[in-house]
Amino acid sequence: MTRGGPGPDGGRGGREGALHDELESWLSLRTDELIAGGLDPREARRRASIELGGAEQVKESVRDVRRGRLLEQTLRDVRYAVRGMVRSPGFTAAAVLALSLGIGASVAIFSVVRAVLLRPLPYREPDRLAVLLHRGSNPTSPANFLDWRRESRAFADMGAAEYWVPNLTGAGESESVRALRVTAGLLPMLGVSPQLGRLFVSGEDEPGRDRVVILGDGLWRRRFGADRGVVGRTISLDGEKYEVVGVMPRDFDFPVFWAKGRELWAPLAFGARASSRTGFSLRVFGRLAPNATLAAARAEIASITAGLERRYPGTNREVTVTSLPEAVVGDIRPALLVLSGAVGLLLLIGCANVAHMLLARGAARRREVALRSALGATRSRIVRQLLTESLVLSVSSGVAGVLLASAAVRGLAALAPAFLPRVEGVSVDPVVLAFGVALALATGAVFGLLPALDASRPDVAAALRQGERGSSSSVGRMRGVLVASEFALAIVLLVGAALLARSFLGLRRIDPGFRAEGVLTLTVSVAGTAQAEPSRRGGFYERLLEAVRSAPGVRTAGMINHLPLAGDIWGLPYDIEGRPAAAPADSPFATYRVVLPGYFAAMGIPLRSGRDVRSSDRSGAPGVVIVNESLARRDWPGESALGKRISFDSEDGRPLWRTVVGVAPDVVRSSWTEKPEPEAYLPYLQERNYLERPGSHFQYMTLVVRTQGDPAAAAASLRGVIAAQDPAATVSEVQTMSHVVADATADTRFYLILFAFFAAAAAALAGIGVFGVVSYAVSRRTREFGIRLALGAGRRDLVAMVVGESMRVALAGSAAGVAAALALTGLMRGLLYGVGARDPATIAGVALVLAAVALVASWLPARRASRVDPRTALQAE
Amino acid sequence: MKTPSSPSPSPPSPSPLLQGTLDLLILRALSTGEMHGLGIARRISQITRGAFDVKPGSLFPALYRMEERGWLASSWGESENRRRAKFYVLTRAGKRQLRTETAEWGRVALAIRAALETP
Repeated sequence: MTRGGPGPDGGRGGREGALHDELESWLSLRTDELIAGGLDPREARRRASIELGGAEQVKESVRDVRRGRLLEQTLRDVRYAVRGMVRSPGFTAAAVLALSLGIGASVAIFSVVRAVLLRPLPYREPDRLAVLLHRGSNPTSPANFLDWRRESRAFADMGAAEYWVPNLTGAGESESVRALRVTAGLLPMLGVSPQLGRLFVSGEDEPGRDRVVILGDGLWRRRFGADRGVVGRTISLDGEKYEVVGVMPRDFDFPVFWAKGRELWAPLAFGARASSRTGFSLRVFGRLAPNATLAAARAEIASITAGLERRYPGTNREVTVTSLPEAVVGDIRPALLVLSGAVGLLLLIGCANVAHMLLARGAARRREVALRSALGATRSRIVRQLLTESLVLSVSSGVAGVLLASAAVRGLAALAPAFLPRVEGVSVDPVVLAFGVALALATGAVFGLLPALDASRPDVAAALRQGERGSSSSVGRMRGVLVASEFALAIVLLVGAALLARSFLGLRRIDPGFRAEGVLTLTVSVAGTAQAEPSRRGGFYERLLEAVRSAPGVRTAGMINHLPLAGDIWGLPYDIEGRPAAAPADSPFATYRVVLPGYFAAMGIPLRSGRDVRSSDRSGAPGVVIVNESLARRDWPGESALGKRISFDSEDGRPLWRTVVGVAPDVVRSSWTEKPEPEAYLPYLQERNYLERPGSHFQYMTLVVRTQGDPAAAAASLRGVIAAQDPAATVSEVQTMSHVVADATADTRFYLILFAFFAAAAAALAGIGVFGVVSYAVSRRTREFGIRLALGAGRRDLVAMVVGESMRVALAGSAAGVAAALALTGLMRGLLYGVGARDPATIAGVALVLAAVALVASWLPARRASRVDPRTALQAE
Repeated sequence: MKTPSSPSPSPPSPSPLLQGTLDLLILRALSTGEMHGLGIARRISQITRGAFDVKPGSLFPALYRMEERGWLASSWGESENRRRAKFYVLTRAGKRQLRTETAEWGRVALAIRAALETP
């Protein structure tokens, strides 16, 4: 700060200079005075200086007056607010509870939204990456992929990935590893780098050069003790030697929307498969060329696939190009946005609740406020003080809310289910904390401003006269509006919860086509064992099935290649005997299932007609197939499918016909609510892929066992049975079918639990709101009730009057809430199943429930009003 | 605020000042006309019969605060013994404030007396 000469009180420097001069002037005047009193000039000067107490100190305190007044007042306000909170613990607890619920829920959901939706995928320019799949979710064939990659200009690069579950042997117990085979350029295309070693280089996806692997961080730590010397070592997968060339960093996961949690990557060498247009097992990823847009890429891929479709009919239908971020979160985004909206509503209800509690308190404190303004406090000063009080309240709630949220986030991550992508990244980090703080401050301002402005109205004289009774009618109206809004918001949340509950019940009523109870499933892989030899596999699985059937506690057993809901989905085109090749777009296509006898009985799938496959349906015997009703209906509408012939394969140009010997009901496929698709079940012992192909896709089967007791309890003994057949075979994905079903409906259950919690909190807060307002009004009106009683009103009349008044408010709020629910629940349509978003019965039911809440919440205090003794009431105030 | 003790000539020992009280006393002291800082301190000592001896350490902050609130205005002038000094005068808001605070103080004093006299 500069020190200027005496001058006008202009800038700060001028003021500071003026202060200096003023103190100098005081010193001379006082010195003169002391000299006049008889002291000698030097002594007088010294005495005056002492009295001034150090010019700098005085200046500092004057500066403090300017600079520090704000801080000092604020601190005083905070202390005052804290004392006030401590003095009324009931009020404080209720307010903090209401707000911390809202803030905590909001922070928890925000942390999920941030991890899942807001944080970019950990790849270079993730928005430029795209996924290419048939009909949005189905894989494609090697020849298709290679043609797309060769012909596309809109994509700078393209890579493919294939599901792989090899057996890792040596160095400890053998285990099935979740792995992925990828074309050599795929990982470099993502723009990621390994923490050790290197990625695959061009040419390593050629047969002969493909015996290299990259480890995931988890596998590297678990199996190799995080040994940095692992690069260059050889490991054994499915009995083959692979050289470790790299280790990916801990946070690397790819892909993130399908086949999550992979721990090992190996090159995908097509070899002879490169010309296959019928084996659909590849997920294709691409990076857009620098100037290309997603729309241009879609158009280009559409024209490429149309050309391929003309040349190779039935192999290239409906290719969907989706941006990778969209593929990861596309399904979950609407749900998370709806949840964000729901917590927002809950927070608003909390705010409304606290606002009217503060209004009630503000009315009781009008006298105090009036006294302060009489003592010279300006209105803005008083508003600031009251706002400080609400901010202290909201910040305490914010702290409680964030604590609540960090507990809730752990709960969410546990509850959250595999369907929530990137859930492992959900945490309360600094950004989330900042969100919590901002939320706390904003809520403090929102619910504090109205009561503060009301309480500080400059109507001093009236307030002093009125004293505590000074709850004016405008405040009453304001509180009515607040309670009504709480009801409106609560209705919206309750309707949402009720719709989800009905959807969940609807989902539970879906007939999956099988009976899940009492069924255990185990995936048995022979990869890398002596049984992996194509000629021995069939015999091994047959013997294993026999052994399992005769194990104690087993009622019946069967095997399938890919379990519904939990397994992979492969598709296969086919021809129908006696029909010309269909128009390409209509060429028939079926989900490819391969079974050993007994599968349908074990899964509890009653065949609609015909018979199960038998062990006599083996190579050499006439070909048979079981189709599902969707396939039968599509290809032979109105007639029986039994005895018809279809072909999936040909030999020397002649189709190998299979006769339909059974029709199975439709069974849910990969998701619980998906429409059924045509499916075909081929006997294992007649299926050349499984009998002859060396690929590891064909080296595992899923054992389906219906047990007598608890299916989960049978797992250990079944493992023993499998080990007795071949100790080297690996068993993975041991789960009961009920568990598989629960997983398939986990998303709706997850939303339902959250919504139910929000809605219960909302209803409770709305009830507390009514209770608080009515209790307060009743206590203010004791005298009026006394007069009414004295004038002959019945006690029941009083109760009816009080309840009637609050019901009017609740009903007005409910009406607004129903309107809002009608407008808003449409947003949840994607989360609902089997119930309309505007289901009238649900909305009416919810309105009734809330009306009951309002009735009870106002009846309790109203009863108190009716017990007033007229004599004491008339004396009150 | 710590101030080094100074010999006080007044017989009753000076009481610590309440903040609101000091403002009221300054307003009252200035009600008779413009005055510089030392003059205000002298005047307060005089009208309170020596009960309050206002030190510069409390006086100047109070004056600056009251000026910021618009109760006082100041200008430089010359003292009776020809020293340069800053003179303070009540503004209209200051006069209004004096009336309000006087009335309020009267009520408070009455209330406190009533409270103390209630057996």
